Amino acid sequence: MAAMKGRVLVVDDDTALAEMIGIVLRSEGFEPVFCEDGDSALGVFRASAPDLVLLDLMLPGKDGYEVCRLIRAESGVPVVMLTAKSDTVDVVLGLEAGADDYISKPFKPKELVARVRARLRRSDEPTPEHLAIGDLTIDVPGHRVVRDGEPISLTPLEFDLLVALARKPWQVFTRELLLEKVWGYRHAADTRLVNVHVQRLRSKVEHDPERPEIVVTVRGVGYKAGAAVT
Amino acid sequence: MTSVARLLRVRWSRRVRAAVHWWRASLQVRVLTTTLTIGLVVLALVFAYVGQRTAQGLFDERVQQVLSESARSTSQAQDMFDAATARTGAEVQNLLTDVTTAQRTGGSGERDVFLLRAPGQPVSVPAVTAVTTGDPTLVDLITPELRAATAEGGQRWQSVGLPTADGGLTPAVVVGQDVTVPVVGGYQMYFLYPLAAEQDRLDFLLRTLAFAAGALVLLLGTTTYLVTRQTVLPVRRAAQVAERLAAGELTERMPEHGEDEMATLAHSFNEMAASLQDQIRQLEDLSALQRRFVSDVSHELRTPLTTVRMAGEVIHAAREDFEPAVKRSAELLSTQLDRFEDLLGDLLEISRFDAGAAVLDAEGRDVADVVLRAVDNAAPLAERRGTWVSVELPEGRAVADVDPRRVERIVRNLVVNAIEHAEGSPVEVRVAADARAVAVVVRDHGIGMTPDEAGHVFDRFWRADPARARTTGGTGLGLAISMEDARLHGGWLEAWGRPGQGASFRLTLPRRAGIILMSSPLPLVPVDPDDEGAVQRPIARAGIDPAALPDLSGDDDLPDDEKDAGTHASARASSDEPQEVS
Repeated sequence: MAAMKGRVLVVDDDTALAEMIGIVLRSEGFEPVFCEDGDSALGVFRASAPDLVLLDLMLPGKDGYEVCRLIRAESGVPVVMLTAKSDTVDVVLGLEAGADDYISKPFKPKELVARVRARLRRSDEPTPEHLAIGDLTIDVPGHRVVRDGEPISLTPLEFDLLVALARKPWQVFTRELLLEKVWGYRHAADTRLVNVHVQRLRSKVEHDPERPEIVVTVRGVGYKAGAAVT
Repeated sequence: MTSVARLLRVRWSRRVRAAVHWWRASLQVRVLTTTLTIGLVVLALVFAYVGQRTAQGLFDERVQQVLSESARSTSQAQDMFDAATARTGAEVQNLLTDVTTAQRTGGSGERDVFLLRAPGQPVSVPAVTAVTTGDPTLVDLITPELRAATAEGGQRWQSVGLPTADGGLTPAVVVGQDVTVPVVGGYQMYFLYPLAAEQDRLDFLLRTLAFAAGALVLLLGTTTYLVTRQTVLPVRRAAQVAERLAAGELTERMPEHGEDEMATLAHSFNEMAASLQDQIRQLEDLSALQRRFVSDVSHELRTPLTTVRMAGEVIHAAREDFEPAVKRSAELLSTQLDRFEDLLGDLLEISRFDAGAAVLDAEGRDVADVVLRAVDNAAPLAERRGTWVSVELPEGRAVADVDPRRVERIVRNLVVNAIEHAEGSPVEVRVAADARAVAVVVRDHGIGMTPDEAGHVFDRFWRADPARARTTGGTGLGLAISMEDARLHGGWLEAWGRPGQGASFRLTLPRRAGIILMSSPLPLVPVDPDDEGAVQRPIARAGIDPAALPDLSGDDDLPDDEKDAGTHASARASSDEPQEVS
């Protein structure tokens, strides 16, 4: 068997689906770990230290949102929701609970693998790269964002989002473009992913999230990086 | 007959119509008018009766008095004549004057005395025919008939009209009786009694009566007004409350005071409103339950479907290693799973519409772009079918408040449908806009359909020809969903078709939410030279309910992140193509 590309925690109460997901993931070189209910999810998460979590929203015990919040509270590990409810409220609730992305059931194995890969893809540029955005400095290889010497903790996705904007401060990014750059979607996808995560990012990096200076909205188009303070 | 007369007639009839309308529209007016009319008629009758009886009574009484007075006076005069010693004409003349003058003041009130020569008597020695105490012209009031009657003997009287200074007439009574004057013989003595005093009393009485009647009418009118107001006001209030209830303000209630009939009405009304509110709440609960059910079913069905789907894909991916029969089975499994998934997605979508859970996620978009994207998506199918799809776009932008996902779905459905039925003939897509609406017409020149079929194409699971094989494996819900999508926009989706002439579908969308469509920028029925005989016939039209239009007035700008992150709910269709990722 090829070298493991990463460990994936599958939290789903449907054992058949979980097993199937496991088969697909394994065939793609990932190492699946399973958990069947919400209450034990956090324990399994701590014990297995996965690189990514696939999280069903409807779980016995604690529901998916709660599990997502708990994981987010202690880790920035990518969380991808498995949602059968395409109702928008559920998706937005999940994203607001801290999920990085979601997949609607029913999905094809290709989709699942693509989403998992996109989230595990390391933007590991070999050259040391330091970026400035607003009054922040970003150490890209070190995966660190610093303001006045104080590090700011971001999830990998939020970090990628910030880096994508900071690399081209002259460019206005449409939501579709950000979906492609950060999430890895090649076709138009749900732009709410961008909206929710921009808001989460702002709540961490802006002095006043109501009047953003780091991630600036360009009305009717999208977002761009705020001017660097020198 | 002049135009003026006509004008007057027109104006008059208009006024009459206005009055009739007023009369019909207000219960209060009707009751008030009726009451006042009846009151006035009754009062007029009473007034006439009392006036007439009083006048008669006063007159009779006075006449009795007058008669006895004049009889007494006449006999006094006769006594004076009998006692007189006059012999000569001049003496007789004096005697006549004296007696007449003396009698003038003898009665009650004023009276004039006339002494006339009896008719038929020879002219007397002193040629005295008449002696009067008053205006000599008043002699004319004594009619020949009275004189003739008096000549027959006894006391006679007649009612006359006495001219007054201002040219009117005052009632008066003339009483006459024969007297015998020495020397000259037969004379007639007349007394003229003006009844001015009686007339004054009568007038006063009638004035008083009229005033009382006026007061009575006023009282009647006011009472009626107040009473009807008390009745009508609650009714009006009930009507207003009912209207507000009908407008959806279910908490609206009538105030309940007291224990009268009005309070009963208010109470019953409020009970009705409460029961209505209850039922609507129950329906809402039911609807929520239904939505919940759809959501749950969705979850319950989708999870096993995902497993099956993934298993199918894994088997499908490994099909090359299988025997031919198993390999073919794996392929069938895969394609039918696709179809099953589409069907499930469409079913869930349509049940969301049925539950009223479908939400319009509208933004200002150029419909032409949306159409182009939909046509691009259908391009592979068109290529496979050898159908040429042409798109004709308006010169300017055709921006409208639309939910791009839904509009794209509608156009994709129409275009795919057209390609499927075009049988290799070209498909034309036209987009046009006017001030109020944007229209997309998709026209094919394929087998076409009958008007009857055109009326059914939006029905769920409807097939033109059940015997015809389903080739592209549509779910049978595409056009039904498109119709719901159009309806959600407050738009129209219409179909036209003729056997052998192809079919035409027209989508018309209002450019701004709230615009009520009156017409479409494009014709539904093609005006090709070869089907001039075709009759304009819109078949199915989504009903437009302005109340159902979502209020988007607050969303004038393109939605920005803050706005559509949380609150903008869009029913994301599971049937959307899965996103393919590199």
